[in-house]
Amino acid sequence: MTGRPGPLIRRALVVAVILLAALPALAAAVTVSEVAREVRCPTCETPLDVSSAPVAQDMKQYIAERIDAGWDKQRIIDGLVDEFGDEVLATPPKSGFDLIAWIVPGLVVVLGLAAIPFLARAWSRRSRAVPEDAPAPSPEEARRLDEELKRLR
Amino acid sequence: MEPPEQETPEDGHSGWDRRRSIWAAVAGVLVLGVVLLLVVGLVNRDVGTSIQDALDEGDRPPAPGLTLPVLLAGDGIGPRGAEVSLEELRGRTVVLNFWASWCEPCEREAPVLDRVARRSRSADDLIVLGVNVQDLRQNALGFAQEYGIRYPSLRDGGDDAYRDYQLTGLPETFVIDPEGRIALRKIGEVTQPEEITTAVDQL
Repeated sequence: MTGRPGPLIRRALVVAVILLAALPALAAAVTVSEVAREVRCPTCETPLDVSSAPVAQDMKQYIAERIDAGWDKQRIIDGLVDEFGDEVLATPPKSGFDLIAWIVPGLVVVLGLAAIPFLARAWSRRSRAVPEDAPAPSPEEARRLDEELKRLR
Repeated sequence: MEPPEQETPEDGHSGWDRRRSIWAAVAGVLVLGVVLLLVVGLVNRDVGTSIQDALDEGDRPPAPGLTLPVLLAGDGIGPRGAEVSLEELRGRTVVLNFWASWCEPCEREAPVLDRVARRSRSADDLIVLGVNVQDLRQNALGFAQEYGIRYPSLRDGGDDAYRDYQLTGLPETFVIDPEGRIALRKIGEVTQPEEITTAVDQL
């Protein structure tokens, strides 16, 4: 009886070692929808992960086959760019003319932030300005003004 | 007749004016830039040149230029990967067929077009040329093998040819005369070789 657990434990150990060895592969594995989110369907102009057009299904199969073959995400996306060109990317590439799409929004935000101090100063000055030719308050008005101010205190 | 305040503006006031004109200039440049981009986009889009409108009026609009790599070689077009342009085929009538492997009518149409191509092989003045679009290469090659396509095909991975020919879907077939003008546009499946050959014979 005491000799029997031996092979069982050994088998359990083997299974544990195999599972441990497979852990990094599981962690690194990409899913079809993860890749599909990065590209778009050429016939429907929507992200691939929400497309069901025939070509979208072909593309998802293409992605699945390559995930099975051990390709990483970037390599699969590069493969799709080779098939369909840069237009297949969900976001424009960060180089050349397309860089404008990334720079302009940031530039607008920076310019807007830079304009705040100038605008704030200008607006506060305008609201504080008293017309120079404003008539002096009459004695009656001065009395009422003092009254109001006293009440406020 | 003498507004003294306006004649001698304060220093701060003129500084504000200068700053305001600088900002106005910057904003003006930005607006001009955006307008320029719009104009460039519109010009590149060839707005107002509709192939269908021209055909409806009985005209033969010039066929948009095409320079694409060969996907399926045949009938003197090739080898695979070589660039072929439509201009090279001037002097011959070109039956230009846009297709994809996932398109079901394309499956039914391929044998019909193959019959047109077979007829053209005896006479050298006609060529059937496929353009594979919106498709994966491996699927397109599999399709050609499965349906026994023997006429040559080019491939456009991007959207350029699709856009230039103003396609509304797949398949679509164009008959281009020897002068490079579109004589016929067939939207949808070609069911009989005569749909194409009748138009070709009338050229």
